[in-house]
Amino acid sequence: MGKVIIKNLEKRFGDLEVLKDINLEVKEQEVICIIGASGSGKSTLLRCINALEEATSGTIEVDGNDITKADGNINKYRQNIGMVFQQFNLFPHMTVLRNISFAPVSLKLKTKAEAEETAMKLLRRVDLAEKANVHPEQLSGGQQQRVAIARALAMNPDVMLFDEPTSALDPEMVGEVLNVMKQLAKDGMTMIVVTHEMGFAREVADRVIFIDEGFIVEEGPPSEIFGNPKNQRTINFLNKVL
Amino acid sequence: MNIVALVVQYWPRLIAGLGLTVQITIISLFFAGILGMVFGLLSVSKRKSLRAIALVYVDVVRGTPLLVQAFFIYFGIPQVLGIQSDPVVSGIITLSLNAGGYLAEIVRGGIESISKGQMEAARSLGLPYGMAMRSVILPQAIRTMTPALINQCIITLKDTSLLSVIGVTELTQTGRLIIANNYQSFEVWAIVAVMYFIIIMILSKISKRIERKMSYGKSDN
Repeated sequence: MGKVIIKNLEKRFGDLEVLKDINLEVKEQEVICIIGASGSGKSTLLRCINALEEATSGTIEVDGNDITKADGNINKYRQNIGMVFQQFNLFPHMTVLRNISFAPVSLKLKTKAEAEETAMKLLRRVDLAEKANVHPEQLSGGQQQRVAIARALAMNPDVMLFDEPTSALDPEMVGEVLNVMKQLAKDGMTMIVVTHEMGFAREVADRVIFIDEGFIVEEGPPSEIFGNPKNQRTINFLNKVL
Repeated sequence: MNIVALVVQYWPRLIAGLGLTVQITIISLFFAGILGMVFGLLSVSKRKSLRAIALVYVDVVRGTPLLVQAFFIYFGIPQVLGIQSDPVVSGIITLSLNAGGYLAEIVRGGIESISKGQMEAARSLGLPYGMAMRSVILPQAIRTMTPALINQCIITLKDTSLLSVIGVTELTQTGRLIIANNYQSFEVWAIVAVMYFIIIMILSKISKRIERKMSYGKSDN
């Protein structure tokens, strides 16, 4: 489980065409890193996959369910896709434990006790068990992002989307978040990661996708994209960021 | 007659007037709260038609004087419908609709003050819109809304004095009736003003305490 197929995806904001004819197949357990300049459309692509942005045309299938036709089922569909945001977006009025257990309990997928047990397990996995009963404001950025990952995992998704998960972090906290993500990749999670962390992409990604001006310009294994990029635009971009 | 003697003589009537003022305020704020929540939620809806309904309501409330609203509801509507109107009921309807409009704006502002990421995070977990609004957005919004809510409560309490013109014997009307007996305008209005002032000071103190509690204590639900 965790297969994503995107066909002929287009996204417009009014007259602005942000994504143009995107075609992408993500296999089960594959880790994809999407790179590109700001404004290239990479975050929009990610947000289309769980319908935070509505696709203008094209289809997006996750495990055979087409989100562009999901309508009433959109909540069910989203339960299968975890999302981690640049700004963490933890719920400030809830404790860490409740941030994680809240959705499964509210959606009646688990009892409170079950959900809290799972939440504690996930907290141990991101090495924050001792923070279960504090509020997010008392955590560092890196800790908040690890809780956010645990919160997404609590829904037991088959696909995880990461939208620049380390961009809002102080440099010394980037590592702890990337380590959690690496472990997740090792455990076989299907992951689509929009990132500026080229080191992470090189080390963890099965495939790197370079997006520019709404097109997938080049894709391939990291060794190829970073070692021997073919497209001039890819070369220009990598020269700037590496 | 000095002020103390006046207070003693008219105390039962003044207290009855104040009692009605407080009662009308509480009942009106109850209905206004419901209206404010409903129209506030409509005004942040994705559907344009729902937002338009809320916009019209708020604009009508804000674009007309409260006194005109009271006359319209007490004299205007009953005439067309051919019914007898009761000043207290008309007064409560007027204040409910009026405060409801302002509360709707406060609710809208409170919801919009919460970062968009909160709703997105909740929806990304698969929560339906209503559940996300109820459990994630509103608990946070209410905290930011509290000072404005308290302010509106005080305004509504003071606005009850306008209902004296449609014959509601709340505190202001009581003052007018007493003056009609004894012509002691200065003393009576001073007494009435002090009574409003005291009740509002009490409310402010209580609300300050609530506000402080909400900003420091974090609820755990």
